[in-house]
This record gives sequence, structure tokens and C-alpha cells, in this order.
Amino acid sequence: MWFEFGGFLFRKPRHVKAVDGLTLQFGRRETVAIVGESGSGKTTLGRTVLRLLEPTDGKMLFDGRDITHATQKELAWLRRKAQMIPQDPYSSVNPTFSIYRTLEEPLAIHHVGSLEERSERIHKALENVKLTPPEVFVTKFPHMLSGGQRQRVAVARALMLDPEFIVADEPVSMLDASVRISILQLLRQLQEQFGISFLYITHDFATARHFSERIGIMYAGKLVEVGPVADILQVPLHPYTNALMEAIPEPDPANKGRRRRALPGEPPSLADPPSGCYFHPRCPIAKVGLCDVEEPQLRELRPAHSVACHLAG
Amino acid sequence: MPFLSVQNLYLYYRTRRGLVKAVDDVSFDMERGTTLALVGESGCGKTSTASAILRTLPRNVGRHEGRVLLDETDLMGLGDEEFRKKIRWRTISIVFQGAMNALSPTSQVGDQVAEPLRVHLDLEKEEAAAQAEATLQRVGLPEYIANRYPHELSGGMKQRVVIAMALVMKPKMVILDEPTSALDVMTQANIINLLKELQEREFLSYLFITHDLGLASELADQLGIMYAGNLVELGPATELYEAPQHPYTRALMNSVPRLRGGQAPESIPGTPPDLIEPPAGCRFHPRCPHAFEPCGWTAPELAEELRSQRTLEAAGLPAIKEVTVRDDQHLVVELAEAPKELASLGPLSRFVDGQKRSSPVYRGIKDLALDGGNVVATLHEPEVPGPVGSSHKASCWLLTRGA
Repeated sequence: MWFEFGGFLFRKPRHVKAVDGLTLQFGRRETVAIVGESGSGKTTLGRTVLRLLEPTDGKMLFDGRDITHATQKELAWLRRKAQMIPQDPYSSVNPTFSIYRTLEEPLAIHHVGSLEERSERIHKALENVKLTPPEVFVTKFPHMLSGGQRQRVAVARALMLDPEFIVADEPVSMLDASVRISILQLLRQLQEQFGISFLYITHDFATARHFSERIGIMYAGKLVEVGPVADILQVPLHPYTNALMEAIPEPDPANKGRRRRALPGEPPSLADPPSGCYFHPRCPIAKVGLCDVEEPQLRELRPAHSVACHLAG
Repeated sequence: MPFLSVQNLYLYYRTRRGLVKAVDDVSFDMERGTTLALVGESGCGKTSTASAILRTLPRNVGRHEGRVLLDETDLMGLGDEEFRKKIRWRTISIVFQGAMNALSPTSQVGDQVAEPLRVHLDLEKEEAAAQAEATLQRVGLPEYIANRYPHELSGGMKQRVVIAMALVMKPKMVILDEPTSALDVMTQANIINLLKELQEREFLSYLFITHDLGLASELADQLGIMYAGNLVELGPATELYEAPQHPYTRALMNSVPRLRGGQAPESIPGTPPDLIEPPAGCRFHPRCPHAFEPCGWTAPELAEELRSQRTLEAAGLPAIKEVTVRDDQHLVVELAEAPKELASLGPLSRFVDGQKRSSPVYRGIKDLALDGGNVVATLHEPEVPGPVGSSHKASCWLLTRGA
């Protein structure tokens, strides 16, 4: 997924490689978490998967159909099957719409159901996200709700068209700690109930651990490691994954007396990435002559667990 | 004498709807060179506590009182001008939440760090610049950064600049309000390491405000948990992490998703309360799984529970026709079939007892009586729990009265 910018005044356009050569597969009723820091390309990935952005290269297949360069008509079909829950509950819901209207909008756009049927679906959706009694909530406006309640409305909205796939982009990072868990638990429960697959995008490794089957780690637009949750946690193969896990503080008073292991520096500019492996300038084990020259490809080193690193394994 | 002693601190804000009791009788002590981490969710009053100490108050202050003893001087007794000259930024400084985004985009970083020296100490430009550069080095930034503009710096570097600004007057204490919130995990770790180093090297005292229990554990010698304007538990960090006493602290600890370790995180039901009309008695009682008689149940809460109640019929009792709140401690329930003798309160009492485990609100009922064909429920008086303990205190009735 390349973005072009700066191509005016006869300057040669530069490219920002937001998502660089990523391959990922989703099964039904599965949650795959994409973990990465800001600038890793994870949000761009989420939006490209839903075809909110058109990929520069590569292919995307949804339920066997090629949606990479789909026409408007095909996109309407996709929108009914694949939805998004955005990050910011304070700006993703129209403040001038009542909750009823917010939830009705997807149905109206896709011409689903009579007015009566819509009302029923809206009430059902509110019950599914535990905003009860629904009659009380349909007339409310977003400013009357807490952050957690607003996010539940965003979830309900994503459910209106009975999707099979939902991209949740940092759905809880703006909420308080105790509320986060209840929203994530709600998503899991809806997954069970309705058989939905989730792409859960987050920078929070710990929530990814508890709420997904597989985790993919992104760095500078590249997928550097992917595999089952338990295996990634027990046997992290990529030095970046390792560094990421070590940098996260758990509630432990012993932390006070220790220095936290962290990599110096920052992720690279995606307009001008390093040669070879993008991670090599910060990598504690990078090998000169190999890591700065050749880009590593993903290879499966353990069952269903792949890593893009010359030195892993 | 402790280095800092905050005693009975109050900060209320006046709003159209009423008085927001943001900081409600908060007290704590700190030794020099240590960190007290103040942890709580949004709206709990932790940032307001910092404002109350630093006297950075908005215009709609309703109540601001208490004692703040620093090196035995009561800061609250100082006049505004004296506080500004001697205390704010010189003795106690602050790294605000989101400060790195508040750096002036049109000034060089060095000038911004030097500014407090020029304004407060009246230093000459060269002298101030030299001290600013030295401060930038103290926070691990190379000298040439002084001539850069904020937009040329990464997030981590900007945060170091903000920390440099807080340290340039060589204060004894720094208030850190979510100092790493917008930063990546790695950068966060590097900033935390910096803060640890600075504390050790320069004998700094930190009041570290955060919602993140993991981050708090990196720096905290003492941990204070705030809920709805109250400090509900306070003590040595090791003790709170290993054996939390307050049900809210326990719930908060259990709600943290762990990267290592077996337990799945648990959510806390309900939402933090309104600070204008907080719950009676213990403010956490509506969400507390262990709330019992003295914790503060009121008639309106019981009324809400009864109105959503459908199991009364399932228990073989007449359906509820109407529920009226007479006052905070008395509720009148009109049943579809009025019970004629006192004896028929028996099944109702048994029903209430049966509900107590799953719905703690029923434990607030002191007794049931008949009044002209209606059932009158009288509730226990709510009582505000005070702190129990010496170096490790928690405000919870479970500690003194059991359940």
C-alpha cells in the first residue's frame, strides 16, 4: 500500500510504503490481532482491507471474490459483509444524530427493511451490545453517553448489516481500563453468537493476547512475525517482538528497582526506509553484510508461526 | 517530619448543575526522593489533586482548602505572589498531560527551556541559554537540539524537552501527569528509564499521576488509589500490589490484561459516578460486589432495582404495582395484592434475604413494615468509611465491620 506525495512542481513523487508486501489470511470466527506501534502501517492495513483505500499492489480476496480493484457495485456487496469499529468513540458517532438515526443509517443506505423491521433490528442491536433498555437509548444523543456507551453504539452500528468480518481499529484505547475489558469481552461474545471474524488492530500487546487467536506483529509497514498467540508469547522469534514484549510494564512492584530494557531510536521513515531489513539499525543482533543488504522474507519456523528474520531459528 | 504532607485537601468546582467534588478530603505524606503514584480512572480527581497543590486553579473554584506542608511550610498559607515566586516551578514543577503538544511551534526549544530562568530569575540571555543547554543534556538530549523547533523533533525528544523545562529551575519535586500517554511503548520505556535516573541522580520527589498500574509500578514507592474524588487506599507499593485491601483496588488490579501470567482480565460493572451527586456513604458501593449494610444504599437505588425486578412473581409473591421514594431512607411499595396481616411479610423477608447475594442493594434494607396496605422498607443510614490502618490505609467498612 503505497501513498504518493510531493509529486508537484515537477518534483519526482516520493512514495511512503505504508504497507509493504503483507500477506495474511482469516478464517471464520477467528480474531487476528495486528500489533504495532504508531507508523507501523496497521491502521492503513485496516482501511485497505475494507477497501476504504485501494491497494497499490497485491491482491485481496474476500470469501473467494477478488476485491482488490472492485467497482462501486461490488463494494456495496462488501460493505454489507465487512464493517469497521473506529478508534475514537467521541468523533466516530455523529453528534447531531440520535442513537436511533445512527443505527438506522447503514440500513437506510443499503435499503434494508421496512421502517418497522428497521426499528426491530435497531432494538435488537442495542440489546446485543447491552445498552438496555433499548427504548431509553434510541432517543439519546451521543453527548449524553459515556465513552464506553458510545463505543457500544459504534459496535451496534457495525452489526446492523449482519457482517461476517469486522475491522476493529484500536476500539478501546481511548477508554478507561475497566471499561476496555467489558467492550473486548462484548466483541468476543458477539463473535461466538454471530460467527464474526475480527481484525483487531492495536498497539496493546496484552489485550491482543487475551482477545485473539493469532497475532501479527508489524514494523515499518512489514509483517515481521505472525502465529498463534500462545506460541508468539512463549517463543517470540523476531528481535522486535522480543523487544516489544520486554518494553511493556506489568503491574509489579519489582519494576521499581530495575531498568527497563528498551531499544533506542525510533521506527524509520516510511518514505526512506533502511536498506535490507527495515529493523536492522535498531536490532541488537543485526549482522553486517546480511541484515543491511537483504530483505528477509517470512518463513515458517514453527507450526503456523512465521517470522521475517535472517537470524531467527 | 515528612518532606510533603497533604492534609484534608479539598477542591470543588462550581458548575451550573452544582458543585463538582473533584478532590474530597485527600491526605497523604511523602518522603524526599521518593515517588507517590496516584492511580485512578478518568474523572477520579487525580489531575485536580495536582491543580490543588500547585494552585493552578480555574475561575470556577468552589472550595479550595486544606494544608500542604512542604519542608514544614504550609503552602496554602502563602499569598499568590509569594507562591508564584518561590514555589511554583522553583520548588514544585509539573509535566502536564499532553505537554509535548503544547510546546510553542514558533520558538526554538532552547529558548523555551530557558524561559523560566529569564522570567523568574531574571537571568541574562547567554547565562539562561547555557543553563538551558545543560538541562537538555541532563535529560539525554544533545546540545544542538537547543536550536531546533518542536516540529523537527520526535515524540520522545519532545517529551524530554518538556521534562527539561520542568527541571530547569532545579525543583525538589516534580508532578508528572500521564507523562508518557501519547508515546509508543519503546519510547515510553526510555522516558521511564530517564525519570528513574533523574530521581536517583538529583534526589527528586515525584507525584506520578496515571491510570496505568503497570507504569505506576515502575516508579512508585507509595501507591494511592483514587475513586470519585476520594483516596480509597494508600500505602507502600509492594503491599498494594501484593495484597490490595480495597475492593476497588482489587477490581482495578484484576482489570489489567497481563502479557505474562495466567489470569484473564475482569471488567468492573457500572461506570464511575457523577461527582456532583456522588453515591451516599462509600462512593464505590453501587459497583462493589461486597457492599453491605453501612455502605450507603439509598431508597432511590432500591427503587431502581425493584422497578426492574421481575422475579417477585417467580417467588410466589404478588406483583409490584408502584414504588414510591418517600425519602433517602424510606421506600413505599404498593403490591398488586395488599398483604393483610403482618405474618405475610414473612415470604417477602425471605425473598429479600434470598436476593442479597446476587443483588447487594437488598442488604441496605434494615426492616420491612406494613403501612395501610403498603410495604414500607427502611434502609440503613449510609456511613462514609474512614481510612483504616497506619502506613497502609484503606477506606472500606469491610475492614472494620466485616460482612
